[in-house]
Amino acid sequence: MTSPGSGVPAVELVSLTKEFADFVAVKELDLAIDDGHFFALLGPSGCGKTTTLRMIGGFEEPSSGIVRLHGEDVTGLKPYRRPVNTVFQSYALFPHLTIHENVAFGLRRQKIDPGEVNRRVGEVLELVQLTGRGRQRPRQLSGGQQQRVALARALVNHPRVLLLDEPLGALDLKLRKEMQIELKRIQQEVGITFIHVTHDQEEAMTMADTIAVMHGGTIERMGHPDEIYEDPRTTFVAGFLGASNLMDARVISPEQGKLVLGDGTPVWIEPSRLMNGATTVSVGVRPEKLHLSAPDSPLETPNRVPGTVTDASFTGASTQYLVDTQQIGEVAVTIQNLGDRRFRANDQVTVGWYPEHCFLVT
Amino acid sequence: MTAATVSGPAVSAASAARRRRRIPYLLLLPGMAWLLLFFFLPLAQLVVTSLEEGSLEAGFNFAWAWDNYGALFTTYRGQFLRSLVFAGIATLLSLLIGYPLAYAIAFRTGRYKPLFLVLLLMPFLVPFLLRTLAWRIILADEGLVVTTLQSIGILGSSGRVLATPMAVVAGLTYNLMPFMVLPIYVALEKMDKALLEASADLYGSPFVSFWKVTWPLSLPGVISGTLLTFIPAAGDYVEVELLGNPQSAMVGNVIESKFLNVIDYPAAAALSVGLMVVVVFLVVFYVRRVGTEELVT
Repeated sequence: MTSPGSGVPAVELVSLTKEFADFVAVKELDLAIDDGHFFALLGPSGCGKTTTLRMIGGFEEPSSGIVRLHGEDVTGLKPYRRPVNTVFQSYALFPHLTIHENVAFGLRRQKIDPGEVNRRVGEVLELVQLTGRGRQRPRQLSGGQQQRVALARALVNHPRVLLLDEPLGALDLKLRKEMQIELKRIQQEVGITFIHVTHDQEEAMTMADTIAVMHGGTIERMGHPDEIYEDPRTTFVAGFLGASNLMDARVISPEQGKLVLGDGTPVWIEPSRLMNGATTVSVGVRPEKLHLSAPDSPLETPNRVPGTVTDASFTGASTQYLVDTQQIGEVAVTIQNLGDRRFRANDQVTVGWYPEHCFLVT
Repeated sequence: MTAATVSGPAVSAASAARRRRRIPYLLLLPGMAWLLLFFFLPLAQLVVTSLEEGSLEAGFNFAWAWDNYGALFTTYRGQFLRSLVFAGIATLLSLLIGYPLAYAIAFRTGRYKPLFLVLLLMPFLVPFLLRTLAWRIILADEGLVVTTLQSIGILGSSGRVLATPMAVVAGLTYNLMPFMVLPIYVALEKMDKALLEASADLYGSPFVSFWKVTWPLSLPGVISGTLLTFIPAAGDYVEVELLGNPQSAMVGNVIESKFLNVIDYPAAAALSVGLMVVVVFLVVFYVRRVGTEELVT
């Protein structure tokens, strides 16, 4: 085994495949996760993210491929022989044991000296802010507290890698937001590699250093949250990570980044994003990147289409519009509420955006 | 007018609340009446009888005859202890055989689970007496079991199975097994399987996971199962009658004969009540012991 920071990935999956009787859950997945990272596996249900996590934990045996932890092949090892710990979706706290004994479970199995066990359990309960709860039973705790016990029970073992299977799924929105920040803080404090499975794109973006978006058993896009948000590259990723407006266009001049829409309206994009000499492309732009103006006060944006507001909903921090355009159909527009003019349904408007905010999807 | 419209619904709401409060008691009523008529009254009658003295000819009179109870620990001490020992062995055997069976049905049978449950309950479709009579034939001296055991030398040439304590214990075990398996199965079935994954994740080998997670969580089922086996076994007399011999008689046989043959009601009642008190005492001790153990591990 190697020490952290030696450049060997904490987790390495090589051509990992899992076939069930009637479908393939994970298809020849290759992935390397750096040590100390907060890594999110993001995707809709059935995309293979949980199966991937379970193969890293040893709960599911791969049909083929290799799982390496810090360079060591663990593919055939049972879960109890792997230096990883898991926070389960249902928490799976032992109902017959106290919080203290739940947390101590892994340490006791490793035959750690009882004094040391007490010290470490106390330490980790303090980390998750549950000091003084040691003698209670899981069912006496709230959902959020149970979640933190599950986290403490895994962390107390000082695993090389911590696996989190939709850990916040059962919590209500407010608590989930708090726990997102809490989890991030704890990860930075302990410096352990976290692999976090979730279907919540906002959760993944809030916490992770790197996100891998999974779709149909493979990784469709991987990178830093803002990188994959701004340039999702595929229709699926664009749709899964936030909302986007998509339009079909024809390439006129790849050097200038000039495209035209169906009716000949020009659209300009960053030339660098136009790859591989395609002649027809799908262009996406996020709702918050769009600008609106009344027809009499022209926009400075190079890209402009006229339209009619069909719906305006005020959400406090912003207003969300739906604008019907002839060129690109219905467009979703989010305007920050800065005290500017607000539009109403049936207002005539111009929708505009900058070339650098366009991305291409396949 | 305003007062009338306000008080009208308020009054009916109050009476509705009263009605709702009464409902649980109404639901309890049939069961309580049944218990009173068919359990408490006969029990009281039995206790009264156990303190009477006299004979069938002279009539029985209430006389605070505590002496009747002494017989349980003097004259019939052997039968009484045999009842507890046989019931204890049968319970232990049922647990040893029944737990793995319940475990297998709960965790390993997959979609065939209903089939196995039906198979488990199948014996109940044949009356208890008939099944025990069938065992009489199977274990008979010239039967296949005995001749096979004799031919491979486990049993001597004059050895027998029928009319031995072993046959009685085997019969008790056989008849009470489903009562052991079902509660354990239910306890295992409702256990969250993710707990075993959590245990494995926390370095628990399959063996450790069983002892630290599965076993403690199945204890409520084990407790019900052992009670449902031990209590009927301790009072049984049919197994001895059909599979045993006079030397393997249990206290149930004494009670039966006192009631039906000797017609000594006070003695029979005293033995019954005494047996019941001892069993209740053992059960309370056992439940407290195992129950608290479950809470401290």
